[in-house]
Amino acid sequence: MAVGVRHFVKLKLRITANGLRGQTWRVALFVLGTVLAACAAVGGYALFSLPGLLGEQRAAEVALPLAGGLLVLGWLFLPLVFFGVDESLDPARFALLPLPRRTLIRGLFVASLAGVPALATFAGTLGMVDSAARLGGPAAALVEFVGVVTGILLCAAISRSLTSAFATALRSRRARDLATVLLACVAALLGPLQLAALAGAENADWTGVARVADVVAWTPFGAPYSMGLDVAAGRLWAVPVKFVLVLVTIGLLLWWWSATLERAMLGSVGRSGRRERTASARKPVAQLVPGWLPRTRFGALTAREMRYWWRETRRRASLITFSVVGVFLPVFIGVSSGTAGAPTGMLIFVGALAAVSLANQFGFEGSAYAANVVAGVPGRLELTSRVAGFSVYVVPSLLVIAIVVGVAVGRPETIPALVGMLAAAYGVGLALVLPISVRVAYALPDTANPFALSSGGGMAKGLLTFAALFGAALITVPMQLVAFLAHDVWLWVGLPMGLVYGAGALLLGLHLAGPMLDRRMPELLATVTARQ
Amino acid sequence: MTVPHQRLSPDPALALRGLVKRFDTKLAVAGIDLDVPAGSFFGLLGPNGAGKTTTLSMAVGLLRPDAGQARILGYDVWADPAAAKARIGVLPDGVRLFDRLTGTELLAYHGLLRGMDADVVDQRSAELLDVLALGADNRTLVVDYSAGMKKKIGLACAMLHAPRLLVLDEPFEAVDPVSAALIRDILQRYVSGGGTVVFSSHVMAVVERLCSHVAILADGSIRLGGTLAEVRGERSLEDVFVEVVGGRTATGSELAWL
Repeated sequence: MAVGVRHFVKLKLRITANGLRGQTWRVALFVLGTVLAACAAVGGYALFSLPGLLGEQRAAEVALPLAGGLLVLGWLFLPLVFFGVDESLDPARFALLPLPRRTLIRGLFVASLAGVPALATFAGTLGMVDSAARLGGPAAALVEFVGVVTGILLCAAISRSLTSAFATALRSRRARDLATVLLACVAALLGPLQLAALAGAENADWTGVARVADVVAWTPFGAPYSMGLDVAAGRLWAVPVKFVLVLVTIGLLLWWWSATLERAMLGSVGRSGRRERTASARKPVAQLVPGWLPRTRFGALTAREMRYWWRETRRRASLITFSVVGVFLPVFIGVSSGTAGAPTGMLIFVGALAAVSLANQFGFEGSAYAANVVAGVPGRLELTSRVAGFSVYVVPSLLVIAIVVGVAVGRPETIPALVGMLAAAYGVGLALVLPISVRVAYALPDTANPFALSSGGGMAKGLLTFAALFGAALITVPMQLVAFLAHDVWLWVGLPMGLVYGAGALLLGLHLAGPMLDRRMPELLATVTARQ
Repeated sequence: MTVPHQRLSPDPALALRGLVKRFDTKLAVAGIDLDVPAGSFFGLLGPNGAGKTTTLSMAVGLLRPDAGQARILGYDVWADPAAAKARIGVLPDGVRLFDRLTGTELLAYHGLLRGMDADVVDQRSAELLDVLALGADNRTLVVDYSAGMKKKIGLACAMLHAPRLLVLDEPFEAVDPVSAALIRDILQRYVSGGGTVVFSSHVMAVVERLCSHVAILADGSIRLGGTLAEVRGERSLEDVFVEVVGGRTATGSELAWL
């Protein structure tokens, strides 16, 4: 019997359903995610149908390609930064099956469309069809519908091929280092780019934006979403050209994907990038624990965490992504907004984002955590050492961020207060994230792709990240008020106040999460152990 | 086969009472009672899926039982985990090690985690790496070790703090014959020194060669247990095992297409 696309789709749906079975909180998260996606879809539909309702042909020609282009960009970057890639159908698992590559690619591709994000995107962009229908009648609507369909195909193709290419590139350790940095930089630039677009929209005259939109409409990013409008405007010749443009792009992306996929499937057997290291004459304990740490349980735990943040791809990817985002984002906002004050709100975001890296800290190492359970490591010690090991990397980054931001906005005298703000946000973020990491840990798949998540994990990761960021912003409101209302005082009290605020929150978080961990150790181990 | 001299001890090294574990709808362990005498070399036998790993995980505090008790040298694993866990060394199966450390770092980590003095950790780690032929100056990450080397470093981690009870899940799986012989020697020496070993396996030859006591586990409950001589009787352990577990013997008519 020939294997068709529907087998892949059925397999994907089956895996998703099985992943939810018997896990109440996962079902709840899934439902919540679906509801949010539905809201986004409805909102998108309303937004995209607005130009049509208003009867503004020109507005539609500007808004639709730009919005569509952002959507495609979002599909490209959001999985890398926030959600990870759903690898419930891991290509490596198909390596031994006698499947032609075309069948495999087609199956995996269509299966990747059978998910909440793709459906929500598609439903939202249908609003563009609505617009086209009102502006140019049924013919325009039909063409726009075709455009929207190719648009969602483009989104899926671009996200699949790029993550797969990165995953392949990340297989050898040397390339992995390079690619992680590169990717993190690119991902981090997403925010500034969007903000630049917004700032441009605010400052530049309307015709400038319109010109940009006209150009974007002829790139693969905007082309699918502007086809129907061309019909409405009578530019029928543009439709086949754009259609071919998009199809060729999708074809090239799929071809690229299939090439990297082949390598990914081969790479999954053996070839783990063996690294021979030079022999060390140091004693075992000295090899593990650096001299400035005590040679105790705390020292061992912290030293292991430090090693792991650097040696494990997943952790390193999140560390580097954070560092780059952390520096670029506030600087860009500070410079582009042009107001006198430092970007306080952004710093809260950055500080909390650092802490969010620990939201699934137990998931990173999976079943290896059994060693600590058997040794009976007390919960508070466990969490304290994990925070310490992570902070070895994060605290210097935060200091650098504060200095860079202070200098970039031309207000070096605010640097101590900025450090205080970052410390408060980081401490509060940790306090929120530690209980989360104990209560709602989830297993990560055992693949070489540092961005891979098991089915449903993306939803959990994204929601928890936003919850923690929102919570941190809320809890640091007093700090922000002082900074906003009493600016001169804040310059002086910002640092001590921030340090106390952050440390207090952290202690409270440890106090809360430590006993929680003591009670839940075996359960936590079970949830982070990848099911085989 | 000689049964090692058994020292009289008030408490068994490991005592399980009415352990029950249910996964979703499947009853993985259906009420196990088991006494492992101190100083014994105890083999837990069973086919795949019999519940060996589940039982041992509950015995050492890695998995919370739905009902029942586990006591290690008299200390309740779930009521007084600190005291119980301090006395055991565990080699879990199907569980990752902290494999982004080198073998040496991993040993140092386990030693310090057990609250040992750093100098003692240094000395014992070097000795263990040497005896297990893992190379004291080997800076390869454990993730790049072969399966056999991973078992050996795991065993070294379990023994480093000189526990009175070793619980080993499938210690001989994926181990080459040379390393297996080495591990057998080390374990026999440990038992003759007064330690207790509990290990799971489905390789009869190894069990017959090493164990003083065995228990046969099938479908989540103990089918047969006692000293090796009692269980085996006049027959081979393999015959007893197949009979107890209720294995199916091929008649020759099926799979004719092979």
